Amino acid sequence: MLTISSVSKSYGSLTALSDVSLDIAPGEFLGLLGPNGAGKSTLMSLISGLKRPDAGSITLNDISTTNGDHQARHELGLVPQNIALYDELTAEENLQVFGELFGLDHKTLRERITEGLSAVGLEDRRKDRVKSFSGGMKRRLNIIAALLHRPKMLLCDEPTVGVDPQSRNAIFELLEKLNREGLTVVYSTHYMEEATRLCSRIAIIDHGKILASGTLAQLLEQLPSAERIRITRSDASLLALPELEALGALVTVDGAHTLAVRAGTQLSTVFQVLEKHGVASAGCTLTRPGLEDVFLHLTGKAFRE
Amino acid sequence: MSKSPDFKTALLMSTVLSLLRKDIRLFLRNKVAFGLTFIVPLVLVYIFGQVFGVNRSSSGPTGVPIAVVNESDAAVATAIIEAMEAESAFQVIHTWEDAAGVEQPLTADRARELIRDNKMRFGLVFPPDTMSEERFGLRLIFLNNPRNEIETQTVTGLLQKVIFTSAPQALMTSLKEQAESYIGTAETTAFYDGMARTISDAFDLKYETVRADMEAGVMNFGADDSASEEGKADSADASSFIDQIVAIENEQLAGADVKSPAATRVVGGWAIMFLLFSVSGASTALFEEKQAGIFHRLLASPVSRSHILWSKYLFNMLMGLVQLTVLFIAGQIMFGIEVIPHLPSLLVVALCASIACTAFGMLLSAIAPNPAAASGLATFLILTMSAIGGAWFPTSFMPEFIQSISKLTLVYWSMEGFIAVLWAHKSIFEILPILAVLLGMAAVVNVFSVWRFNRGNLFE
Repeated sequence: MLTISSVSKSYGSLTALSDVSLDIAPGEFLGLLGPNGAGKSTLMSLISGLKRPDAGSITLNDISTTNGDHQARHELGLVPQNIALYDELTAEENLQVFGELFGLDHKTLRERITEGLSAVGLEDRRKDRVKSFSGGMKRRLNIIAALLHRPKMLLCDEPTVGVDPQSRNAIFELLEKLNREGLTVVYSTHYMEEATRLCSRIAIIDHGKILASGTLAQLLEQLPSAERIRITRSDASLLALPELEALGALVTVDGAHTLAVRAGTQLSTVFQVLEKHGVASAGCTLTRPGLEDVFLHLTGKAFRE
Repeated sequence: MSKSPDFKTALLMSTVLSLLRKDIRLFLRNKVAFGLTFIVPLVLVYIFGQVFGVNRSSSGPTGVPIAVVNESDAAVATAIIEAMEAESAFQVIHTWEDAAGVEQPLTADRARELIRDNKMRFGLVFPPDTMSEERFGLRLIFLNNPRNEIETQTVTGLLQKVIFTSAPQALMTSLKEQAESYIGTAETTAFYDGMARTISDAFDLKYETVRADMEAGVMNFGADDSASEEGKADSADASSFIDQIVAIENEQLAGADVKSPAATRVVGGWAIMFLLFSVSGASTALFEEKQAGIFHRLLASPVSRSHILWSKYLFNMLMGLVQLTVLFIAGQIMFGIEVIPHLPSLLVVALCASIACTAFGMLLSAIAPNPAAASGLATFLILTMSAIGGAWFPTSFMPEFIQSISKLTLVYWSMEGFIAVLWAHKSIFEILPILAVLLGMAAVVNVFSVWRFNRGNLFE
């Protein structure tokens, strides 16, 4: 559906994107995960046609999105990172403004406004000015404004920044529902838990490059180790170290050992070693690997938010 | 452990000094605040200083063009004209350029025409009977278009000063010559000798001084009028006497039928200044929309940069038109300015002024990096343009180089348009050149703004 081919973009001497390629299939929920400054917003701006790439191309159903083609704009909906609403207008007036720009007739627009507002629980606030809304309400309205023209693909550029957990959940549920109904979603975030929860596929981006992409399981498979076991340092644990080192990568920091269990190694083997040396099970914590570990593995550094 | 009072004081001072250093650092990095604090006041102080004659030998206007037509052969006329030419406030004009570019001597009718058309605003005609055997004293005709009250009052005062200073001497000389022609030189000399003797005896003055003053035509015989209060009183009496022997006929060539002249003269300048403030305020909405991310949403929909700029332009232009119309109609209701009879022409001028002012507002958005800078720049430019454009003072009160710059401001040309309609009751056809200048300015500014918008980061 969306094809990004060898796209590069620089701002002066700063390379924001370098040779980025990505394919997004219809109905996908793609997460664009990366720390601040990784190039997510630049990529979103290029996809939505706000900026032009220095090199490469972006097409949506074979129509370029970067040359101002109106057809491409009709098929895309952008939820900007900022709350792009007019504070002094009511919720309904805001939606009217943005709906009219897509040429929706009065009747259709009215129906879609009603439908959209009820989908995010704002129907009873339609006549209220946006300035009286909470941050979460504004964020929900921000999303509805991008959906009025029924786009085939929704681009969400960090849509939950500064949102309380309750509103965040409401937004997640809305997006999941829309995705189930067939809407393709590209969701940029620097929150790993969001990408983990929402996305059917995740592309990890840093310093303007796509480092890896795939389902969560596929990304985790790239890790050389599976689980991690944190062991509180003790006389017994020191005795177990030589045998533990044979089972994975072992690091000792701040009075604790962390063993990244080598892929394919049974956890029971590790616990047998610990038991043999009398290490108390109360001093051991098992953690499952996550996207942070994938990022660490790919970049050699911790994820910076 | 309790701290000593000295320690507490030192701590307080240290904290205050830290915060003070921070404020100074922030201020020095805020170019807008820096500009508003120093540059704006300095520029305005300079302009005010020039207007009020600070550092100049005389305050008031300089080089005000005044048409002078001498149809008389009286020596007093020549003396007055020479005195006017020596006065820096006036630029005495004796000729005009015809269609072929040939200089022609001014006639009274031609001077009237030029003043009526606002090519110049003042004229002095010495009619053939400037000095007449049938009456005592001078007769002059002062032609004027008093579209600016301050300027007219000042020029009138200066003209009276020049005439009253130079006329008596010439008049007395002229009277002596007439006396000689009627009664002969010997009789006249005898009469003057007798008069000088009588005056010197009566006022205890030196005979030779009084006689020499009479010969030279000096009126305050032998008195030093700066020496004593008495002298000053004598001088005032002399002026009052001159006032009666110099008859200046006032001939107002434009605005004579304006019902509320004072308000009509100033309304245009004030209106255009407020319009500029409104338009510059509205133009910062572009920055607000950018900061809110609304441009991203708009540009991701079937909307181009041109759509956004055109919508802003039209909005500001319409707002300006409505604001000017409301201000003028309020002027009619509150001050009796005749607006309704000239409404069509006034609306055309208001539209062109709005277009030009909107171009100015868009320029601010195009060149300023942020709303604070736009606001600061707007304050600076609006106050400066209003001052040098003539919204506050007549441009003739300013140095010549500022007078030439004033014609580059849209305040000047907008005021010209309003005054042409409301004061001189010009038709739309007659004000076409003014409208063309306003639209031309808007076009030039718009081209530059578009160029800047395409290279700036407003839409990034």
